[in-house]
Amino acid sequence: WNWATYGLYLLLNICSLKVSGGLVQSCGYIIPESPVLALGSNFTALCILNESCLDFGNIYANQIIWKVKNRVVPKEQYREINRTVSSVTFNVTSSLAPFLTCNILADGQIEQNIYGITVTVGLPPEKPKNLSCIVHQVPELTYPMTCTWDPGRPTFLDTQYRLKYRWPQENFPDCIPEEVNNSCTIRDAQFFVNLEVWVEAANALGKAESDPLVLDPIEIVKPLPPHNLSVNSGILPTVLKLSWENRISAAVMKLKFNIRYRIVGDTSWMQVPPEDTASPRTSFSIQGLRPYTEYVFSIRCMKEDGVGYWSDWSEEQTGVTSEDKPSKGPSIWRIIDASCSPASWTVRLMWKALEPFEANGVILEYEVTIRAKSSIPTPPEKYSVNTTNLTLKLPNGTYEVTVIAHNRAGASPPSVLLIPASNSKAPVKSVRTLPKDGKLWVGWTAPNSYVLKYVIEWCLVSNSSDCVIEWQNEPGNVQGTYLKGDIKPFKCYLITVYPLYADGQGSGQSVKAYLQQDRPSKGPTVQTKKVGKAEAVLTWNHLTVDEQNGFIRSYTILYKTIDGNETAVTVDPSKTEYTLSSLTSDTLYTVRMMAYTDEGGRSGPDFTFTTQKFGKGEIEAIVVPVCLAFLLIVLLGVLFCFNKRDLIKKHIWPIVPDPSKSNIAQWSPQVPAKHNFSSKDQMYPEGSFTDVSVVEIEADDKKSFSEQDLKPFDLLKKEKSTSEGHSSGIGGSSCMSSPRQSVSDSDEGETTQNTSSTVQYSTVVLNGYRDQTPVQVFSRSESTQPLLDSEERSEDHTGRGDSTTQRQQYFKQNGGQDETNADRSCFERTKPADEGHLVGFTQLQIPGRSSQPLGLGLEENTQEAALSDTSAASTEGQTVRSEIVDKNPQSVDEMPKSYLPQTVRQGGYMPQ
Amino acid sequence: MAAADSPSAALRHRDLCSRGIRLAGKMRLDVINLLDTYVERQGLDASASVAAVEGVPVAAVERWDEQTGTQRLLENLVAYRAFRALLAQMLEEQREQLGEADTTLGRALAAVLLQVSAFTYHLEELLRLESRGPPGEEGAEPPPPPPVSLFERKLRGLRVLRELAQWALRSTRDLRQLAKASPGSGSVPSPPNSP
Repeated sequence: WNWATYGLYLLLNICSLKVSGGLVQSCGYIIPESPVLALGSNFTALCILNESCLDFGNIYANQIIWKVKNRVVPKEQYREINRTVSSVTFNVTSSLAPFLTCNILADGQIEQNIYGITVTVGLPPEKPKNLSCIVHQVPELTYPMTCTWDPGRPTFLDTQYRLKYRWPQENFPDCIPEEVNNSCTIRDAQFFVNLEVWVEAANALGKAESDPLVLDPIEIVKPLPPHNLSVNSGILPTVLKLSWENRISAAVMKLKFNIRYRIVGDTSWMQVPPEDTASPRTSFSIQGLRPYTEYVFSIRCMKEDGVGYWSDWSEEQTGVTSEDKPSKGPSIWRIIDASCSPASWTVRLMWKALEPFEANGVILEYEVTIRAKSSIPTPPEKYSVNTTNLTLKLPNGTYEVTVIAHNRAGASPPSVLLIPASNSKAPVKSVRTLPKDGKLWVGWTAPNSYVLKYVIEWCLVSNSSDCVIEWQNEPGNVQGTYLKGDIKPFKCYLITVYPLYADGQGSGQSVKAYLQQDRPSKGPTVQTKKVGKAEAVLTWNHLTVDEQNGFIRSYTILYKTIDGNETAVTVDPSKTEYTLSSLTSDTLYTVRMMAYTDEGGRSGPDFTFTTQKFGKGEIEAIVVPVCLAFLLIVLLGVLFCFNKRDLIKKHIWPIVPDPSKSNIAQWSPQVPAKHNFSSKDQMYPEGSFTDVSVVEIEADDKKSFSEQDLKPFDLLKKEKSTSEGHSSGIGGSSCMSSPRQSVSDSDEGETTQNTSSTVQYSTVVLNGYRDQTPVQVFSRSESTQPLLDSEERSEDHTGRGDSTTQRQQYFKQNGGQDETNADRSCFERTKPADEGHLVGFTQLQIPGRSSQPLGLGLEENTQEAALSDTSAASTEGQTVRSEIVDKNPQSVDEMPKSYLPQTVRQGGYMPQ
Repeated sequence: MAAADSPSAALRHRDLCSRGIRLAGKMRLDVINLLDTYVERQGLDASASVAAVEGVPVAAVERWDEQTGTQRLLENLVAYRAFRALLAQMLEEQREQLGEADTTLGRALAAVLLQVSAFTYHLEELLRLESRGPPGEEGAEPPPPPPVSLFERKLRGLRVLRELAQWALRSTRDLRQLAKASPGSGSVPSPPNSP
């Protein structure tokens, strides 16, 4: 069965493709072939089968299947007309696919295409509407006529539009649009004959014509604008003659014109009244122009009767009117400086250059005339000035100043300014300002008298520049005006209004104003003037005018502690000082200050300060009573001591037996009553010793001391610990001469032993407290033994310098020559001191330890030689100290431990 | 005259006269411009004599002011019909001679030809208003055969244009005379360049 079906399929194909006369012959066909269908219409197609195919394959019309773009048409739309013809009916819509095929179902199973057609769907053209035409004149002096119309809805088909036109007696070839369907241009329209114009639209579905338009093309002309414009100055400075050439002959069309003009730089045009140019012409004189002003002209034209279209505006042409006399005199004002001399003024006359519409030409010069208005007639002074100011020195008085501007055409009317001796007339009142529309308006209340005019003077107030005065005149009947100048925002202006009278001038009334305010550019820098316990006085400087940017309405002081809330205080803007009160003592505060204008404020830098711990007078209140109390106590003490002086004296200053009254004193005729260096020197003049021998005496029996001698010793022993120099042993107790007492005094057992073992005597050496120079030296002995030697030796201890000197003299006397030479080299280092005038030898440097003052009170003139020797001896003594220790160690211990530089009268400090 | 029979006819007559005068003026202007172009393109001397050329209507006439309106219209109509034939012949010759290359001259000739046709229409309409109707063209004298010589053709063309310019001027006068005779002649435009 399959093979049979396949064979039938091949048969149909063969039948369909059967070649007849070289062409493929189908088994059927569809009519109509390639139909063009109107949307919304019904369409019926027929598929007709060939008889040959019927015989060949048993194919009949009832087997036909219609398809639209491979989609089967419902059977309801089919109709079998006979056994070879089948029809199908559609309602034509825009969705109708372009392909319709007739197919056959062979043996009910195999579908075979018999034929197919292409369907085109569209609309017939609508009647063109709104036909209109215009004739453009073109530079070739032909007159193409362009007609436009509304073609109506789209037809979806190829539609031909034709512009048809004809004369009554003659037809013309159609105008066929190119690439458009709504306009066409006839190359050269002919005038003065009515032309009938209409549009015909046609496509496969129909044809439509517009309503005819009958017109004479001359009535729809848009001519070319006139050309070759030229402007000539007329005789009058207010007239310019404009000439042009028309590009359409008057024989063809008479024209009327529009002329417009404007001043160069302006944007708005003025127009010559149309009725003045409603007739054919090639020139026109424009009047009422400003002298010496450059104008731009342009012109257009159209048919004289107004039928048709205006041409475009012509190219622009400029022309300048000739000069005329200045129409008014310049505005004049003055600045008077009376500071130079009390008897004369420096008058700076200023006038404003005339505006171009006032100058009417180029101002060549200004003629200034000054007349003194005095009882004695004086000839006027005349000046010719090229600038707009003139500075004169005039005696005090009343003057009339006249300024006349000159140009090539003539002179202006004079401008007169009266400069009175004093501004004694009534001033204006209530000068006020108001920013408005980006300009600064100044208003005032007029005085009661008739004012000729007002002068408004203003200048920018700045720290960085001088006040450069600008000014303007206003008529006497106004009470307010805008400042005519470059008024900048955030700048302070000082504005002054002067009323000028016919016979004088009123004093100026000033006001400061800002066009626009802003916050200050910085805040005030605050600092403290005085800080107390609970208050602080703050000071600041006013902001400069340049920093203010507006009127300072208030200051605000903001202060706070480190961890506290900020407190604000508002201060009047006129103040520069403020006292903060109720502050916490001994607290760090941070303070800053803000300056406010109407637009806001700005803060200055922070400043910190600390309040004081005590208030004013608190310290005094504490210290003064304490001091008074102390003084009172001291006074009471002194009084007490005074009253009890005998008792006190007894306790602290016991009665010491006078050695001079001792038996030995009576025995020794040469005992000095008082130790004195000079006396000692006299006693032991230098070089009086030839040799010194030490007598050693063994104290073998302590019991030789009496009990009475020991008592005072016990008492004084207690005081030993406080001061070595205050030895109470001086008191003459016999125990003072004991070897033990010597140990206690010197803390040098060995030395004490040497001394005590030598002789029974007491040596009291006052070294002074803590290396201080001893005030007084006592040497006393209560011994009943002869003390010639010991007395001498005690003299060695009374003055340390002397004793040292004595001792060194002793060593010098015993020393070899070599040591002396060695000392000389050492001594040479002290030569500067030696060369100078020394009051006395001051000190010696002991290697390895501190030196101490050695010499005191040597007379310059008498001791100079001795000084040299002493110095040398001292130096020598230090260098041979180890040798001395064995012989006289006490002298070493008596050397002060501090180094005290000494005053040198001349030669300065002596290096050691 | 029949033109005065009805207001609409009078208005029509006046309108035809007015527009005829303007058309004649423009035609004269265009012909004069065309003459310059023609002489230049044809290589002729502007002062060349064309008196010997025949078959071109001559504008000059004796006792012009004694002519009636109808007579003026008829003479004009005859002349312009002749010019129409002559210009059509010139245009054809010009196309044969220069092809489509010289479109300026061809366009100008065509424009003048159209104006001649338009003026002819004006004359015919005026004659209709005269209740005469325009004479048929069947009886008109056919234009003479074109000259064989190219130079003669050029000369004849020059003569045609010159005479047409003269006829345009005469037609302007004729129509102004015609307009004056009509009842509504007050607003007939006067030509800017009266001959």
